[in-house]
Amino acid sequence: MAKNLPRTGIISWLTTVDHKRIGIMYAVTALIFLLFGGTEAMLMRTQLIIPNNNFLSAGTFNGLVTLHGTTMIFLFVMPLSAAFFNYLTPLMIGAADVAFPRLNALSYWIFLFGGLLLNFSFVTGLLPDGGWFNYANLTGKQYSPSHAIDFWLLGVQVVGLASLIAAVNFFVTILNMRCKGMTLLKMPIFVWTTLVTQVLLILSLPVITVALFMMTFDRTFGTGFFDPGAGGQVIMWQHLFWIFGHPEVYILILPAMGMVSEILPTFSRKPLFGYSVMVYSSCAIGFLGFAVWAHHMFTTGLGPWAQALFSAATMLIAVPTGVKIFNWISTLWGGQLRFTTAMLFAVSFIAMFTMGGLSGIMHSSPPIDYQHQDSYFVVAHFHYVLYGGAVMALFGGIFYWFPKVTGYYLSETLGKIQFWLYMFGFNMTFFPMHFMGLEGMPRRIFTYASDQGWNFWNVLSSLGAYTTAIGGIVFFVNIFWSLKSGKKASHDCWDGRTLEWTLSSPPPEYNFAIDPEVRSLDDWWHQKYDGEGNKRTARVQPDVDPSTKHVPNPSFWPMVLAFGILVLASAPFFDAQGIPLALAGVVIMLVATYGWSFEEA
Amino acid sequence: MKSLQLFRIAELSQLLKNKSLPLSWGLLFALQASAQEKAFDEAEYRLSPLFGGPMNTIAGMTEWARDINHVYGVTTIVAVLVFLAVSIPLIITLYKFRVKEEDLTNLRPPKQIHGNALLEITWTIIPFILLLFIAVPTWQVIFKQPDEPPPGAMVVKVIGHQWWWEFQYPELGITTANELHLPAETPVFFVISSADVIHSFWIPQFGGKVDALPGTNVDNHLYYVTPALRNSDAVGGEVYQGQCVELCGLSHALMRFEAIVHKQDEFDRWAKTFNTAPVVASEPEKRGEMLFAQCQVCHTISGTASEDLEKQMLSMSPPVAKQGPNLTDFGNRRTLGAGTRKNTEENFIRWVKDPQSIKPGATMTPFDTLSDDELRSIAAYLRFSTAKKF
Repeated sequence: MAKNLPRTGIISWLTTVDHKRIGIMYAVTALIFLLFGGTEAMLMRTQLIIPNNNFLSAGTFNGLVTLHGTTMIFLFVMPLSAAFFNYLTPLMIGAADVAFPRLNALSYWIFLFGGLLLNFSFVTGLLPDGGWFNYANLTGKQYSPSHAIDFWLLGVQVVGLASLIAAVNFFVTILNMRCKGMTLLKMPIFVWTTLVTQVLLILSLPVITVALFMMTFDRTFGTGFFDPGAGGQVIMWQHLFWIFGHPEVYILILPAMGMVSEILPTFSRKPLFGYSVMVYSSCAIGFLGFAVWAHHMFTTGLGPWAQALFSAATMLIAVPTGVKIFNWISTLWGGQLRFTTAMLFAVSFIAMFTMGGLSGIMHSSPPIDYQHQDSYFVVAHFHYVLYGGAVMALFGGIFYWFPKVTGYYLSETLGKIQFWLYMFGFNMTFFPMHFMGLEGMPRRIFTYASDQGWNFWNVLSSLGAYTTAIGGIVFFVNIFWSLKSGKKASHDCWDGRTLEWTLSSPPPEYNFAIDPEVRSLDDWWHQKYDGEGNKRTARVQPDVDPSTKHVPNPSFWPMVLAFGILVLASAPFFDAQGIPLALAGVVIMLVATYGWSFEEA
Repeated sequence: MKSLQLFRIAELSQLLKNKSLPLSWGLLFALQASAQEKAFDEAEYRLSPLFGGPMNTIAGMTEWARDINHVYGVTTIVAVLVFLAVSIPLIITLYKFRVKEEDLTNLRPPKQIHGNALLEITWTIIPFILLLFIAVPTWQVIFKQPDEPPPGAMVVKVIGHQWWWEFQYPELGITTANELHLPAETPVFFVISSADVIHSFWIPQFGGKVDALPGTNVDNHLYYVTPALRNSDAVGGEVYQGQCVELCGLSHALMRFEAIVHKQDEFDRWAKTFNTAPVVASEPEKRGEMLFAQCQVCHTISGTASEDLEKQMLSMSPPVAKQGPNLTDFGNRRTLGAGTRKNTEENFIRWVKDPQSIKPGATMTPFDTLSDDELRSIAAYLRFSTAKKF
């Protein structure tokens, strides 16, 4: 059956197991969720533009706070990173596909259904309102009796499952499917940061999975893990959440660092400075990331020794991070810098991420954290890291690889307009938040009195947010315009250094007609230029008759299996009546697994 | 949803005329002025200062806050230096090595430098040294907080509720709410807990916040010496502001309180008169006292029948705590609804009739069947009879 499925049209997208198409689907879905998360942010900034505003109700605001954070992290930055993992990893390591193509499709569908489940809360009007960290026991049945919190618990649970499956897939792919000659230390740096990210995901996601199950059981079956009335501990949730939640920060930032480390060399025409040190520092950041979770909990009464140790571990992260920043600057030094939009985003990443990193070091000191914790200073800090850092780099990545993916350049003019709107708007939104925090404005408040000294900063911040929104619109216009009438891109449209630039734009379904073989880091560059920098003829990958190349067969089963998971995850919303639904979900999953197992891959 | 009226030209021009502001700021202030109409509270519109507001963290009034700010100051200097050390080379590099797109085809690529071990070692070691400048003062300050009340310290129990604050002075036998009275220049040891969900206790000018956790054996502590009076003749004390800073449900934003620092003798008089019975003088106050009978299921006023009821409830097995804040000195309080409104008759009546219109989700029953006369009587009782001179 699978062999006869069409290779074009809507069915082909629903059944595809091609890593490139799945990557595109991840990216499109993530960008649609960006519209959700962005709109939520604009609504919040509108509520806060003046004191005592009643544009939004308290409940709606708390819901938007929760959904904005959850959406941006789990439904935008993570899947957009996953889009790049999907699309680029096999191309960069010279493989035909990922190790488990159908599992890859399964990840996507689970992610999509999880995201829809979370956002279905808008349809029901029951917005989860416990914050993105969903602290117990506010989110227990006693204080949040409606099903609103369940949308968060089950939505994140399902999305997390998608990431976990994908992480195993990429981990195996990178370790097993590299082309001839590509030893670990000849892998492109983006593949390295991808690998470290997958390790973080594999080790941290099970923790949140278990914690989410515990809380779901608390709410659905009345277990009392986090209920002090039943002898449970509210702090236990915080430990479990942040044991996942802090590595999560590096899950968001490491792929971005990898992209910047690819973009800067290309537009400087120099290799990444200190490649091996960059690899080690990525590993060090990943490793230390597991030893610092309690720095989110300095005000919970950990005691001085725990605070001293967790603060020391947190400060240590500054070392490998600082090394990276100076290596990026050294990459630029002595180069021939071309300020394309991708390059502008990558360079802005260095500056903005440094700002966020420095305020992060401030919070590594518990006494400072006593004052800044849960104030707007922290909001400023993590937006500098995740927005000025991760998101700016992701936009750089989009501008850099868009021609490879679609065959068309994004408009540089619109791109630069977007970049400056973003830079200006971003700093105008978030820099004043440092002052709001120092002036004692707490996070997650839906309103404030007019005599607090927060008015001016809030106006500034909201106007900045609207500026970024315009930048966002320019970006979406750019995508549509460029797909219709953009400049056509050749194989090696930026004079790149890695294997994906040996392929046509967009690459054929089978990827490489001739199995690539590499002799060095940046092998493609060295094929193009000799040691003196003289150009020599390098051969790009030829196009061959697709029927001569084996590609994995499309399949409906991943989508069906994912749907079974969605049905199962919907059961708790119907309380006792949900049992048949849960059984139906399990049956769908079993049928799909059976069909999957006996289908020719 | 009511729409935002962002551009109200008449108001803007009025504002410009009255306050003669620079034109460029006019729009921003007009935005804020438009908040006045929809104001939840009566807080008079004024051009708030950009820095040094009532919740600011910088003007450390206690030694504890100044210790924190010392670490913050050192760290800020290091952070600014590092930022300069990154941004200046970055900007120089970007300027110095820029190339025009069209010139690129004629240029041979630069030398392919892969790294430099000496440089890598340098910028690994320097951060270590810089971090020591932050780490040492940090650790010094962490260990300054005692686990037990030091001798001579006054113990104050802080209990967070959705969405108000309870303050107990075990040594003085006082329980009050939303107004934290403290003697000046006195060591105070706070024992912080919660009756329902996690809250966080924070008076920014006195130093950092501490979470209030629900459960047994999870009390947190905070110790500092209260500040001296800025004006040593201050009558009625000097007011500082605090607020809950952990998301604690619907009205988290409206869980404020005030800390009032008194001269020692004034504080002693406050403590001494606190638990005396209310003085019911006028006719409306007497009617209000009768009507308060229906409030005492949740609220206590010391020296009245409501106090006996509380004792009975607490002696039951299991003990039952009253749900609402203690109102013993309500007449002396500056605000109601946990710092969200000024304590005026109008606000009081609105609160009793429809508390949720001021504080969404508040658990108090709306007494919307009471007549205006009855409401005014209760207001008179609570606002005047309980306002004891001290």
